[in-house]
Amino acid sequence: MSEEWVITTEDLVKKYGEHVALDSISLKINYGATGLLGPNGAGKSTLIKTILGLIQLTSGTGTVLGHNIATEGNQIRQRIGYMPEYDCLTPSMNAVHQVRYAGELLGMNTTQAMQRAHEVLEYVGLRDQRYRDIETFSTGMQQATKLACSLINDPDLVICDEPTNGLDSKARGFMLDTLFQVVKQGGRSILMSSHLMDDVEHICDRIVMIHKGKVIAQGRIEDLKAIDREIEISVWGGASRLEDALTHGGHNVRRTGRVMRIVRQDEDTYRDILSSAAQTKVQVRRMEDYEPSLEDLFIVIMDRLGYSVKSSADLFDSGNTPAMDRATDLSRLGGGSI
Amino acid sequence: MSSEDDPWGLDDLIDTIASSEAAHTDPAAAEPDPSDAEPAPSDAEPDPATTPSAEPAPAATPSLSPEESTDAEFMGESGLAVTGQARLEAAYGSGDGDEVMHAQVVKRAQVDSGTIFHQIYREWNGVLNPRWVRNWSIFRHHVYGLFSKGHRPWPVMTRIIIAVVFLGALAPLLMLVLSSLTGLDELQRFFGVTRANLWGHVFGFFFNNACCWPIVTALVIGGLISEDRQNGTSAIYFSNPITRTDYTVMKYISAASILSIIIVFSYCIFYAVAILVNNEGWAYLLDTFPYFFAGLIAALLLVTTYTSIGLALSSVSRGKFFPAVSLIGLLLGSKMLAFLIELLFETDVMYLISPYDNLAHIGQWMMRLNSTYDFPVAWSFVSILVMNAVSLYVLISRVNSLEVTRE
Repeated sequence: MSEEWVITTEDLVKKYGEHVALDSISLKINYGATGLLGPNGAGKSTLIKTILGLIQLTSGTGTVLGHNIATEGNQIRQRIGYMPEYDCLTPSMNAVHQVRYAGELLGMNTTQAMQRAHEVLEYVGLRDQRYRDIETFSTGMQQATKLACSLINDPDLVICDEPTNGLDSKARGFMLDTLFQVVKQGGRSILMSSHLMDDVEHICDRIVMIHKGKVIAQGRIEDLKAIDREIEISVWGGASRLEDALTHGGHNVRRTGRVMRIVRQDEDTYRDILSSAAQTKVQVRRMEDYEPSLEDLFIVIMDRLGYSVKSSADLFDSGNTPAMDRATDLSRLGGGSI
Repeated sequence: MSSEDDPWGLDDLIDTIASSEAAHTDPAAAEPDPSDAEPAPSDAEPDPATTPSAEPAPAATPSLSPEESTDAEFMGESGLAVTGQARLEAAYGSGDGDEVMHAQVVKRAQVDSGTIFHQIYREWNGVLNPRWVRNWSIFRHHVYGLFSKGHRPWPVMTRIIIAVVFLGALAPLLMLVLSSLTGLDELQRFFGVTRANLWGHVFGFFFNNACCWPIVTALVIGGLISEDRQNGTSAIYFSNPITRTDYTVMKYISAASILSIIIVFSYCIFYAVAILVNNEGWAYLLDTFPYFFAGLIAALLLVTTYTSIGLALSSVSRGKFFPAVSLIGLLLGSKMLAFLIELLFETDVMYLISPYDNLAHIGQWMMRLNSTYDFPVAWSFVSILVMNAVSLYVLISRVNSLEVTRE
């Protein structure tokens, strides 16, 4: 790979009339697996179409695999595999011919496309079903066929839009393992858009989180988790007193019954907790560092944007996202390259 | 034979069975061979699995010890006669229950558990072909689909109707051959190459334009774009290096080609066969070719106009039913409306809204036939141009609305 970054954008703006779909998006995405997160209407689809070189930008520049997104859409799409979220297969065609046709549309000759179609269908676990009509396929098999279509040309970058949509746990596991193999074994890059944080965490080591057309966080998941590192304690006798004491001491405390989570500011936080407990005569029966999940991270970020969310599903599933109450400077969350 | 070569001991087993059978059939073979009669080591018990007995074993109720039974792969190996009865009794315990039975169980295969499905990512280092190859694949997908599997899955009924209409379009050839064989002047005038016959082959209302061409057009074009919208297959096209222009043009050419095979190709064949069967010379060619060529242009105009209207209707809908029905309704309904207005008000200007009548009018003018319409042919030209322009505008704008990410 001669290019340093798989995707770079600089002040990318896309407006549909008055509506700003992408607002000064600046990204540098490295090779590997990257998750694309954001609530409905955040601009994920527009960003994907931009990366595919399908839409005319209002302003800004960008490259994908070294090709200009404004002028070299065809070259980009020849090196990208795209797995759409929604149905994109001809129901009355069988899988091998569908995948072969996808290859032909890329410019592969028929013999090569057919040979490669057999390979990728075997790879996605449809070797024995490849001559069956797609309309007889389960959702998992259709998703696998879509993945096969996107892998037909051995792309440098695979864009997966909700790859586990509608899959049962077994099919979901297989799909995630397959995508993981594409990255680890095949050495390809993946940009994965998903509402399921577990899926993203399973495959990706980096994320880009966008909201209202802006990048609100980007970076390595491990690094982003550091912003929400907490200390979890279980107490006995006077939890309210300890909570008050810690809060007055300037700590951010979340409490559910006898379990409290205190945001870890520095090494002194442990000492503050224990001294506060001693002062309030509260027993601390357990104290451990709490490693947040991506779901927790998402909630924290959205909370800082003014959302009152209990889970990411609140944002993803409901059509009416809560209004942003206050603008928050989240520059410390991300920025730079990932 | 090492154990690696034969982990299940099949070769030993085959030898054992062979020697056992020989012992039963050949008495001489049952005699102990001095060379084999070496004394066994005192600590080695004879192995029933490898030492065949010359005596026939009882057919039922095998009396093997459990150790022996588990070691033996099947009863024949232990020297017992293998009969169906013995196996039944061993398997299902068909005795009276008082005897001590030991089931003869086939030894479990000792196979290393392995992974049947190896998920190995294979790279592909081929070279992608240029734009025309990609466009050719779209054309091939649609046109070849009529004839072979693996391409666009045209419904069987569509294929049958196209075949029937195509054969029907070739029916005048039979009459040409018949008239040539009989030499009757009346038949020649009726079915031979004349301006009226050439025009009628493409523009005759009954039966071609009243039924055949509209139905075939509706069947071919109905789902060409609407099914891409319905099934989301537009994402397959536009996420690949296929531009919307390529997509629209190739769909258009594919549909027009299929219609041309039926309408234009049959027209050309009609003219060629007329020359061949009548053994016409250059003078005949020079005389008739201009009319044939004018008819060819008019036929292509009909194909393009029907394709434009049909694809526009297909692009505004999901599914093939609406475009098909609305195309037939538009072609026939507009003519019917104009016909009724002509009856009521004695004016034929309303034929300008009928695509068929405009095309027929242009065809008459191009082939220098007497016009059956009172309005100038220029109006028909303008009307056809407007119909094509509007249709193409709708088609292009609707194709632009086809989404890659979400409809």
